Amino acid sequence: MSTLFILLFSLVNFFGSFHPLLVHLPIGILLLAALFEFLSQKEKYKFLASAVNLSLFIGMISAMASCLSGYLLSIEGDYDEGLIFNHQWSGILLAIISIFAWYLNRLGRQISWLTGLMVFLVILTGHFGGSITHGSDYLIKAISAAPEEVAQKRLVVPNVQQAFAYQDIIKPILTSKCYKCHGPDKQKGKLRLDIPDFILKGGKTGKTIIAGNTDESELIRRILLSKESHDHMPPLEQPQLTKTELDLIHWWVGSGADFDKKVADLVQTEKIKLVLASLQSGEKLEKDPVSDIPENEVEQADTKVVQELLARGVAVIPVAMNSNYLSVNFVALDTITDNDLKLLQSLSKQLKWLKIGDTNLDNDKLKYLLKLSSLSRLSIERTAVNDEGIAMLTSLPKLTYLNLVGTSVTAKGLMQLQSLKGLRQIFVYQTAISGKEFSQLNKIFPKAVIDTGGYKLKFLESDTVELKSARVKL
Amino acid sequence: MNKDAQEQRLIREAEHATLQMYTRRHFLKEGAMGFGALAFGSLLGSCGFGPSSASNTIFDASNPLAPKPPMFPGKAKSVIYLHMAGAPSQLEMFSYKPELAKLDGQECPQSLLEGKKFAFIRGVPKMLGPQANFRQHGKSGLWLSDNLPHLATVADEIAMLNAVTTDQFNHAPAQLLMHTGSPRLGRPSIGAWVTYGMGSENKNLPGFVVLTSGGNNPDAGKSVWGSGFLPSVYQGVQCRGEGDPVLFIKDPEGMDRDLRKASIEAINKINQKQFEEYQDPEILSRIAQYEMAYKMQISVPEVMNINDEPAYIHEMYGTEPGKTSFANNVLLARKLVEKGVRFVQLFDWGWDTHGTSASGSVDIGLVNKCRSVDKPITALILDLKQRGLLDETLVVWGAEFGRTPMQENREGKDLPFKGRDHHAGAFNMWMAGGGIKGGTSYGETDEIGYDIVNGKTEAFDIQATILNQLGFEHEKLTFESQGRPFRLTDVGGKVITQIVA
Repeated sequence: MSTLFILLFSLVNFFGSFHPLLVHLPIGILLLAALFEFLSQKEKYKFLASAVNLSLFIGMISAMASCLSGYLLSIEGDYDEGLIFNHQWSGILLAIISIFAWYLNRLGRQISWLTGLMVFLVILTGHFGGSITHGSDYLIKAISAAPEEVAQKRLVVPNVQQAFAYQDIIKPILTSKCYKCHGPDKQKGKLRLDIPDFILKGGKTGKTIIAGNTDESELIRRILLSKESHDHMPPLEQPQLTKTELDLIHWWVGSGADFDKKVADLVQTEKIKLVLASLQSGEKLEKDPVSDIPENEVEQADTKVVQELLARGVAVIPVAMNSNYLSVNFVALDTITDNDLKLLQSLSKQLKWLKIGDTNLDNDKLKYLLKLSSLSRLSIERTAVNDEGIAMLTSLPKLTYLNLVGTSVTAKGLMQLQSLKGLRQIFVYQTAISGKEFSQLNKIFPKAVIDTGGYKLKFLESDTVELKSARVKL
Repeated sequence: MNKDAQEQRLIREAEHATLQMYTRRHFLKEGAMGFGALAFGSLLGSCGFGPSSASNTIFDASNPLAPKPPMFPGKAKSVIYLHMAGAPSQLEMFSYKPELAKLDGQECPQSLLEGKKFAFIRGVPKMLGPQANFRQHGKSGLWLSDNLPHLATVADEIAMLNAVTTDQFNHAPAQLLMHTGSPRLGRPSIGAWVTYGMGSENKNLPGFVVLTSGGNNPDAGKSVWGSGFLPSVYQGVQCRGEGDPVLFIKDPEGMDRDLRKASIEAINKINQKQFEEYQDPEILSRIAQYEMAYKMQISVPEVMNINDEPAYIHEMYGTEPGKTSFANNVLLARKLVEKGVRFVQLFDWGWDTHGTSASGSVDIGLVNKCRSVDKPITALILDLKQRGLLDETLVVWGAEFGRTPMQENREGKDLPFKGRDHHAGAFNMWMAGGGIKGGTSYGETDEIGYDIVNGKTEAFDIQATILNQLGFEHEKLTFESQGRPFRLTDVGGKVITQIVA
């Protein structure tokens, strides 16, 4: 019995889902019938009169099918009842009128007035239908809103700490991204997000937010879900939440989902402070500075060169699946040839990270690397490169990471790189640089962390002593 | 005998052997099964099944260990995962609970026992106060017990997870859950997933190496670093600290390197023919493994040799060459990572402190275990740091679960030593390096370390975070098996953004 019910239900679902397809048939065919009827009054198109009845018949059948499928869809869908009522009854009226029109036409009666009414009803029903799927302001939105508002509007809140968290920050986000389906017109999943009481009430699956508990809040779960997920909100075809908006909603729910307090009265982490500050200035948050991969892509590297290097046992790997930037590692090779380095040169635009330590690299071979102008990370640890070679590295303007562990570089040699303002990490463990020169180097590279290594662990007696049981075993 | 002749002879031998097999099994295997399969295949084919190209697009059967890019530029290039098999007591190491000391010796309230399952505790156990002193360390004020004096010096490198939880309270399933995402056998381990995703950066070394210490393998056995349904080339390669690093790595007496090469080439030719006939990618994996094994005969003894490390490094790590110890394994882990190995998995056995013996007690055995790992782990962090590798090497410390705030009362009786039962509800793990924000902590437990108050962290979350640091979205690293895509984190997993830099 229950399986039969489920089968029935899924059939209802199935036919219901054809409604958006079927509706276009009566619209087209009935309008065409009306057009034929109108034209056949004229002498020139008199022959069309014979087509009117057939097109009315097909239009009538499709109108009835649309009514049926539409009714099935309305049972299982979550739509605004008012809009459904209008659409449903104008649709049914249209179907009835089309039946009359067909019948009267068959009997040879004059039906011009009926087709006029039919056209009117087609337009009306279509509009009601459109309002359900696209929102009631759909038609006038494009003309009423100024162009810059149609494009994604950036939320700007002057004096953000004194603003009201819900009223000034959260509500505008919900308005632009959620109301269309969870607002006054439509309550998909029986959820309405435009009034605090409704937000707290939740929807079909229960509470949508649990104040202070982002892990258990359905709203947070849904908006954080990956886009492939069926449950992801907003639906893929709708405008998505930006990272900033996500952070803000997460923070608001996590801090207790208060509807009255000011921003300053809510708990703020360092991260959310930055996000809030960005609202004030209306500027985009600064891109994550940790990544040294530029956003703009480069052309793809020469596949032949890459293949040749791979065959040599050099690991040439794109930094990410959809990126043309490359990382190259010579870890499997002890000996590199001039040819290897010539090959590298032709990757100068793409090469970002290079590990070429523990090899026979020396000052002469290093010269090949100086054209690698995109390079941001370079490891040449335990090679014969010395101060003279280091001085040449000034021609790598994008360098952020430099590993010189186990080379013979001196403090003087390193200072030659003063012009490389982007350097953030320099590793000089096991070099000729002594601890005394450290403070001087720090002044020259104020933004870089210089690691001289040589860490030692305290000697503790206990490290080698084994505790024994003082007790007698029972 | 020259090489070609040798090869020809081996191929002839193989063909002969194949023919011999045919005489016995041909009819059954190729005949009956073949007809059956034919019929079934056409049945399936008409239903729209049939062989699918699957979504395992990143798997190139002819070169399964080729280096591959991550999904986005990851901060970590490799992982060193330190697993303390047996589950150390968080209450004597990381979880500072002064309230528990006040309850020491009192009977456990019934409310804590209702609806809970324990491995050994029966009836009403007594509470057991912390058996170690705690102090705050570093700028972050991280609470650590005096059992970890060295780790205290690098407190600000560490991101502490205070509220890790699991639903398994026995070693083997809990270890499997931690490493494969399922408490049952058959899923690939995280190291296998990572190698599947990234390949091996060094063509002479496997992408996933396993080192064990403490006298035993973990309870879950080798499945905990297995490849599950992934091609078997991605399983962890277990190396030994003593004797030959890999068993039978040396050529047998009388076989020189050229002959070895010739025989491997011949075997691979035969396998290639087999592949052309059956199109089973496992055969290509096998070919790749033979080639890798041949290269490893040279590269592995080299990288697994810690004799040449300078004295101060040995002093720093507390290593003694020639022994199997956790310290040696930690040093090896650094060497392997330096050589481009993606995932180094360490298991140290002997942390199961129930209180049944001195070595299994939280005030004696646990202290000794702590002493055996405290210095090497600290040395590892500092050594990676000075070599410029800490940024790109994610160090993960953890276990399969934690231990109860109650004294264990096996079979309802008092035990001779201070010990704690398995506790799945709440325990600690930590991460360092590899784009993790040092000096942070996440999660909170109640005042006796029994239940989680906030920041609940599950195995899936830890796995998702590890994959995230390497540049993978855990939801998208999938492999088609049994007709559907699988992923490490099953249907769970959330990157712990709170500890990501």
